[in-house]
Parts: sequence; structure tokens; C-alpha cells
Amino acid sequence: MSTSSAMRAVIVKDVTAVRRSKAIVLPMLIVPFLLLVVLPVFIGLAAKTVRSTSVVSFMQNLPHSVARPILDLPPREQLVVLVLGYLLAPLFLIVPLMLSSVLAADAFAGEKERRTLETMLLLPIADGPLFYAKVLAAFLPAMAISWVGFILYAIVANSVGWSSTHRVFVPTSLWLVVIFWVGPAVAALGLGVMVRVSARARTAQEANQLGGAVILPLIFLAVGQSAGLLLVTVPIALGIGAVIWVVAVWLVVRGGRRFTRDRIAERL
Amino acid sequence: MATAIVARDLTRRFGAEPAVDGLTLDVESGEVLALLGPNGAGKTTTIRLLNGVLRPDAGSSLVLGFDPVTQGDEVRRRSGVLTENAGLDDRLTALENLVLYARIRGMDGGVASRRGGELLERLGMSGRADQLVQGFSTGQRKRVALARALLHDPDVLFLDEPTSGLDPEATREVVHLIANLASEHGRTVLLCTHFLSEANRLSHRMAVLHRGRLQAVGRPEELGAELWRGLAVDLDLGGTADEHTLAILRTARGVLAAEPALDGARVRVDDRETIPVLVATLVAHEVKVFGTVPRPPTVEVVYFALQERRTR
Repeated sequence: MSTSSAMRAVIVKDVTAVRRSKAIVLPMLIVPFLLLVVLPVFIGLAAKTVRSTSVVSFMQNLPHSVARPILDLPPREQLVVLVLGYLLAPLFLIVPLMLSSVLAADAFAGEKERRTLETMLLLPIADGPLFYAKVLAAFLPAMAISWVGFILYAIVANSVGWSSTHRVFVPTSLWLVVIFWVGPAVAALGLGVMVRVSARARTAQEANQLGGAVILPLIFLAVGQSAGLLLVTVPIALGIGAVIWVVAVWLVVRGGRRFTRDRIAERL
Repeated sequence: MATAIVARDLTRRFGAEPAVDGLTLDVESGEVLALLGPNGAGKTTTIRLLNGVLRPDAGSSLVLGFDPVTQGDEVRRRSGVLTENAGLDDRLTALENLVLYARIRGMDGGVASRRGGELLERLGMSGRADQLVQGFSTGQRKRVALARALLHDPDVLFLDEPTSGLDPEATREVVHLIANLASEHGRTVLLCTHFLSEANRLSHRMAVLHRGRLQAVGRPEELGAELWRGLAVDLDLGGTADEHTLAILRTARGVLAAEPALDGARVRVDDRETIPVLVATLVAHEVKVFGTVPRPPTVEVVYFALQERRTR
């Protein structure tokens, strides 16, 4: 039995169990649906009905390199592309962050709560592979749902904006960086935080509450900075993603080092 | 006979308190050893140490020749553990709780499913194989967890309270199954239980732990011989022995003590050889003897005698 097969089996087990839990699955589907389908429909339709004269004056205050892609567009496209193509991009980050946090809390603190953790510790899989299999069991579904959500978002955004743009304008290059670089980094960050928190929490709910104290400020920061992130060019977004990746990998690796049977069993 | 489990001065502390304290123990292959003791005696910690889930602070152990500290996966590949709480995932069905974990062990899904179905049927759970475990009674969970512990055909079984929460019928089936595993399949079983009659029925030897220390280990009759001289024998005399009969018994050669009992008397004799001589003596005195039943010490009797000796 190879380590990778055992890890795959752990992931299958965790994902199968999570799929049965309505308390986890419903928020995991509803929140992305609201953020990536419902919200862009309303915001996009609202943007189409508003006169975009103020967009030019707003954009003129921004650095030229940032504002130019918007200002170069025909006036009727500017507001729709600004909102759906740029403004909502950082909001998307809430989805992988939330999903990976919820799944990690279930995978680590949840096992403790359900008293199934000892069963896992009694299996012939070493501490490291067991830990990283559980990390992947949270990370992969979180990213899969996020990416499916983004595809829906792109369909909605392009459909809503079609009458103004008559072209596909999402994903922009910034979106692609957010989806494939910053998004996974944020998901890993949520995981790293929840792994640490879950070591102390006795239940998944307690882990979510403790983790929320760390993750909620990150969410508010993302929302609050939505407009500000418009200032970000692709290289800066890549840089921000790299910094988040470094912190996230540090947190996850550190969590992995502390994930030993002895340390866990001591608290069972 | 090879030794399946070896523990030498195995010690594990939680804080300052030793949970297992200098445990030295051998369990032979194919043997059923009952590990007994009150709550907090260190039974569960011993199982965790022997499976490499906990690391010892001192001492060492070998299970099937593998060191649980450095070769934990090898031990866990060959051992099956039934934990005190069944440890089943409520969100999975009974069969999924077997198959998904078996696949982590490297078993083929189809083989695990077929064997899991057979084991669930044997344990009276086939009707619920495809139902979610949520809502199962303690006994039903225990049976599913036992099936999971057996699924990969382990050489060593660690059973922590295998029959707690089971109804009498299920208890009988599980006890029968464990007895078969040892006698027919030659598996080594470390049985932790509070049910002393079950330990008596299943185990070859008993080990008694108290606050992590091994108080005694051996066959009940060996431990009994250390506690009391001689062998207890019930004499059926057709009614409680009168003073005259008791006087005959007490003065007979090889008799250490004699007490009246409902059907006759309970005597303690030097050894089995004394019994026919004693019967002949009674018959010579025209006392009718309907039967004699040697009563070697049971696990229960020895266990409580050890507890009593400790508190004295």
C-alpha cells in the first residue's frame, strides 16, 4: 500500500462524510451562490441603470496604469466592467477562505468531536501523510467549489453586461490571478489558521468560533479593500498572493509538525 | 509458541501522574489475555502504547516483533483495535464505516465490501449495513466497530470493552466470536473488560492493573494458589453438613478447612488427589456423597481477592 493511495483513501473518506452533512453542505453552496450569482446579477443590473459620468472623474484619481483599462473602454461599458470585472474580484476571495475554514474545522476539530480521531490514529498511515491528506480533503473541495462558482460568476457577469459590452469581459487578467493564485493562497491561509485553532478546540463549532476571530477580520479587510484593490495591478496581485502563500504554507507546515499521534492522543 | 506482545518497563505519564508505570508483560501468540482493573488503571493507555499511538516515557515494547514507536504502521497494519467508544462516523453507513477505513489500510474496495458484509451478517447487523450509523444503539455501534476491527484479518486484536452495551444475545454471539478467533484462527487477543465472567470464559491468563502498575499476571489458578493454599471442592451431601460430618471432614488427611454449604460442605484440600480419599473416608463413616465438584479459582474470585489484598 503506497502512501499516496492511503492519502487518497483518507480524502475519499472525509469528502464522503462531509457530503452527508447538511449543516456543512448547505452553507458551502448557499454562500458562494449568493456571492457569485445573486450579488453580481443585482449589482450588474444596477450598474447598467446608473449613468456612468462619475466613473471618469473617479478613475482619473487613480494611477494611470490602473485606470487606463477602464477609461479606454466606451463610456457605456465603463461602469459594468468596473463593477463586474474589477470591483467584485476581491469579494470572490471570501469563498475559498470560508469553504476551506469550514472544511478544515470539520476535518480536525470535527473528528475530535465525533470521537473518530482515535480510529484514524489506529490506521497504518504515518502522521505526516495523515495530516496532509486531511488538509487536502479540505483544500481540494474548497477550491473545486470556488472555481465552479467562478465559472457561474463569469457566465452571469458576461450575460448581465452583454447588452452594454457585446463581448466577454470576465475573466480579466486580474481575475485570473485572483482565481488561480490569490484564491488558493487564501484557502490555504484559512486552512493553516483552522489547523492551529482545531488543535485547541473540542468541537468543530468551537473551532469555527475561535477561527472566526482570526478569519472574520480578514473577510472584512477583503470587503473593505474591494475598492482599494482596484489599485492593484497584476504584478502587485501576484506579489500579494505570494505573501499570503508564504504565511499559509508556514502555518500549515507548522501545524503538520505539531500533528503527532502522541500529542493528539494525550488530549483524547 | 512465539511471543506476540512484549512489554518491558513500559511507562507513560500524563503530567506527573503515571498512567502506565513500569509494565512488564508477555502475551503469547494465540493467547487471550484479560487485562483487568478499575477505571483509570491504565488499560486504554496500554493499548495506545502498544499500537504506537502514544509514545512511552520509558521502557519498550514489541508487537509481532515490531517496535510500535519506530514501526507503528507495521504494528497497526497487523492489529485490530476495538476502542471503548466505537469511534464510528455517524455520517457514514455501517458498511461505509468498514469499507472506507479498510481502503485506508490498503484493502481493495470490492474485497472490503464483501468481507464487511459477511462480518456484519455474522454480527447480526446485515439488515442495517446500508443505514447511516446515526441513531444506532450502543450495542449496534459496538458490533459494527468489532466488524471493522476484524475486517483486515489482524493477527493481534485489542478489544476494549467489547460487550459493554450489548444485549444478552449479542453478548453471547460476540463472546463466541472472540473465543473462535483465538481457538480456531490462532489470533492473539488482549481483552480489556469489566465483565469478569466474560474474561473467565475467554481468557487463558489475566493481568490486573492498578494505577498503571501491574498487580498480578497469570492463570487464575496460579494466582489463586498464591492467594490461598489448596483447592476448593464442593461436596454434595444431599443437605447441609451437620457438625458430625464437618468434624470428620476437618480431621481427614489433606483437608485444610471445611465449611457447611446448602447442599453439603465446601472444603479446601491440599490437592486433587485428596478428593477420592476424602470421599472414601466419608463413605466409611456412612455419610452419603452424591457428588464432588472441584472449584478452581475464577477470574472474578481472584480479581476481587487481589483488590481486597491491596486495600488491606
